[in-house]
Amino acid sequence: MAEELNNDGMLDMFLYESGQLLEKLEGIILEKQDADCFDESDINEIFRIMHTIKGSSGIMMFENITKVTHRLEDVFFYLRESQPDNVPHLELVDKVLDVSDFVNGEMEKIKAGEKTDGDEGPLLKELDDFLAKLKGEIKDQGIPLPKQKKNDEPSQFYIAPVASENSRFFQIVIHYRNDTMMSNLRAYAATFALKEVAEDMLYTPEDIMTNESSADVILAEGFYIILQTKSSAEEVHELVDSTEAENIEITELSAEEYGQKLVEHGRVDAPPAASAKASEPAKEEKKAPAPVVPGDYVVKSKETGKGKTLAKNQPKKQSIISVNVEKMDALMDLIGEIVIAEAVVLQNPDLKVPGLELPNFQKAGAQLSKITTELQEIIMSLRMMPLTNAFQKMKRIVFDVSRKLGKDIEVQVVGENTEVDKNIIEHITDPLMHLVRNSVDHGIEENVEERTSRGKPAKGRITLEAKNEGGKVYISVKDDGKGLSKEKLYEKAYSVGLIGERPITDFTDKEIYSFITLPGFSTKEQVTEYSGRGVGMDVVVKNIQSIGGRLDIESTEGAGSEMTLVIPLTLAIINGIVVQIGSSSFVLETASVKTFMRITSDSIITEPDGEEYIVLRDECYPFVRLNEKYNLKGAGTNVEDGIIVVLEHESRQICILIDKLVQEQEIVVKPIPSYIKRVKGVSGCTQLGDGSIALILDIASLVDNKERRI
Amino acid sequence: MKILMAEDDFASRKFMDNYLSQYGECDVTVDGEEAVDAFMMALEDNEPYDLICLDVMMPVMDGYQVLKAIRDIETQRGISKKKRVKVIMTSALNEERNVKTAFELGCEAYSGKPIDVEKFDKLLKKLELI
Repeated sequence: MAEELNNDGMLDMFLYESGQLLEKLEGIILEKQDADCFDESDINEIFRIMHTIKGSSGIMMFENITKVTHRLEDVFFYLRESQPDNVPHLELVDKVLDVSDFVNGEMEKIKAGEKTDGDEGPLLKELDDFLAKLKGEIKDQGIPLPKQKKNDEPSQFYIAPVASENSRFFQIVIHYRNDTMMSNLRAYAATFALKEVAEDMLYTPEDIMTNESSADVILAEGFYIILQTKSSAEEVHELVDSTEAENIEITELSAEEYGQKLVEHGRVDAPPAASAKASEPAKEEKKAPAPVVPGDYVVKSKETGKGKTLAKNQPKKQSIISVNVEKMDALMDLIGEIVIAEAVVLQNPDLKVPGLELPNFQKAGAQLSKITTELQEIIMSLRMMPLTNAFQKMKRIVFDVSRKLGKDIEVQVVGENTEVDKNIIEHITDPLMHLVRNSVDHGIEENVEERTSRGKPAKGRITLEAKNEGGKVYISVKDDGKGLSKEKLYEKAYSVGLIGERPITDFTDKEIYSFITLPGFSTKEQVTEYSGRGVGMDVVVKNIQSIGGRLDIESTEGAGSEMTLVIPLTLAIINGIVVQIGSSSFVLETASVKTFMRITSDSIITEPDGEEYIVLRDECYPFVRLNEKYNLKGAGTNVEDGIIVVLEHESRQICILIDKLVQEQEIVVKPIPSYIKRVKGVSGCTQLGDGSIALILDIASLVDNKERRI
Repeated sequence: MKILMAEDDFASRKFMDNYLSQYGECDVTVDGEEAVDAFMMALEDNEPYDLICLDVMMPVMDGYQVLKAIRDIETQRGISKKKRVKVIMTSALNEERNVKTAFELGCEAYSGKPIDVEKFDKLLKKLELI
């Protein structure tokens, strides 16, 4: 959900509550879509949800929402009271979803500050027809119609303020010429002109009208105004300009800076510090802010220069605060810097005096490391959110698409409580949606016979699964449909000209499956509304790669396919091993290191074309000499002097030769600055304790690169 | 109809006066206490107001206090719920708790500022004032 909150508390509350109710409603519907009918508790629940939304939208005066929900409430009222049999369940499910969509649509408009102008007419008519049918059914079954229930129109209303564009904040400093007479009156003229456009304004000195000596202050120090307005800087300048003004500085402030200035001027109290007891259990969570009592908002007699008083200071106790994501990101960056700074301190070259023992320093250092690790964990956990919502959306998509395509599909969800960085959720929702659509559209067979003849149940099944493993999140979409056909994929890729003239035996299964992620590839002849245009899978892969993840495709023809998104749990800090090759330092991600070994030179096999392999325990690994690849000076070339590292990526291995192992540590990944041309095999860089820069090796591309050349 | 408006901010006052005048005679006060006085006077003269618009943040008495006072006076005088004056709060304070307090004190409606005139018209119709 887009988090563009209005600054209208009441409206936000309505949107939030209704949004929650609608989500719950969809949950019920999707769970029961395949049942024969809703059971009693569902009917009660849906009735209650409709009743609540009807009531609150009535108070908020969103009439079309009120009407639609009211009508659906009626439908469920009859269901509840008469409990007829033979309710056309699917039709009912459709109606409920239609209403839910309608209300959602209108709520989006409210969020965007538009008018709720959706036409409720057609939907009302559908619901009326349905209700009439239902009543007929009830009569046929000989159940007396319940008495028309009393209609309780809301008696109190709330009108949301008209949506207004965002205010801007300015600081204005006016210096008048030294010979200006009665500069306080000039200043007053300026404030008077600004009052036309000001939403809020504050100036120093404050007592310009009542205290004549303020004129001297203005001449000496200038006249300061801070202003909240919708006007532009130019318009403001025009308003305050006068012949006596020598110099007018107008600086635009951010909302935060503006608030800061207000605090400095003692206009509002500083916001209370967040509850210091972070460890306090969350039971206080729901604690309501102090209630408003009559008399709280008496405006103290106005002093000159003060506009109306802002709202009373916030309640002191608040255990949940919403935080701007940008601030969280900044905090995360800072913590990254702390980790680097820690390394700089603890591994400072000044400490590397032979024979120097610093037991106390070491102890203090260990303590520091512990705290920074905890800091990191906390900031990570702050940003974690469960995948529940994303998965619920996917369920809805399966429902919609399968209904449209006339396929019967059930959805199974595993591990929806897996928590993932919020950033990652935002990045994977679209790709995931695509994969799910693909599974429904391409994966599950069109006709049931095709399934039953293979011994599969008539009903298709799509499994959404999420799990957390080894610092990575695995999110998979699995279907039990027809699977990918290697031959078809190859033929298609060949005919579109994506792979040149290479024979099918040239490719591994994985490579063939990965054809579907190439731009311009789609084997489905018929393009449907949902998929088949061949744009999509490549976009999916691009999106996933942009957050450092990958897409794994597994498939068995006839039995189904599984698409797995593998995404790093955190984007910024990895566990790495620092190694030295020549005078350069490199970082290897710890998880991808398999073995360190010393070998003798007879384990090396050299192919006629110069390719080298290393045989370790009867296994043959490709060998890359990074010193040659990157022209590293001073690196050892004799394998017997150095250390061989076996690296693994997606069960493919590669060996490299290093001179020295330095240490294992937490590595803050920084992108390679844009002025350096993209280097193959390097995914980022970091700063080491001694201040030098180490490059982070991208094992995946090293492995790929090597294989391509075979 | 007879309208009373309490509003301390000049610009809002002018705007509301202009807007409400099309529906009837509009009396204006600039603080809460005056509003209660005006309400009492009208009752004494047997020409009670049909609609009262109250700002929340006002000098001397705030909108909540005025609303409470009005409802208390009405109860004291035995004016039935149906006959009591319609009160619309107008304020830029639109936290849920603000609105809730106003509802609990017995106002008919709460309108955020800046005022949505179109909806305000609808509201007046719902309240059967126009």
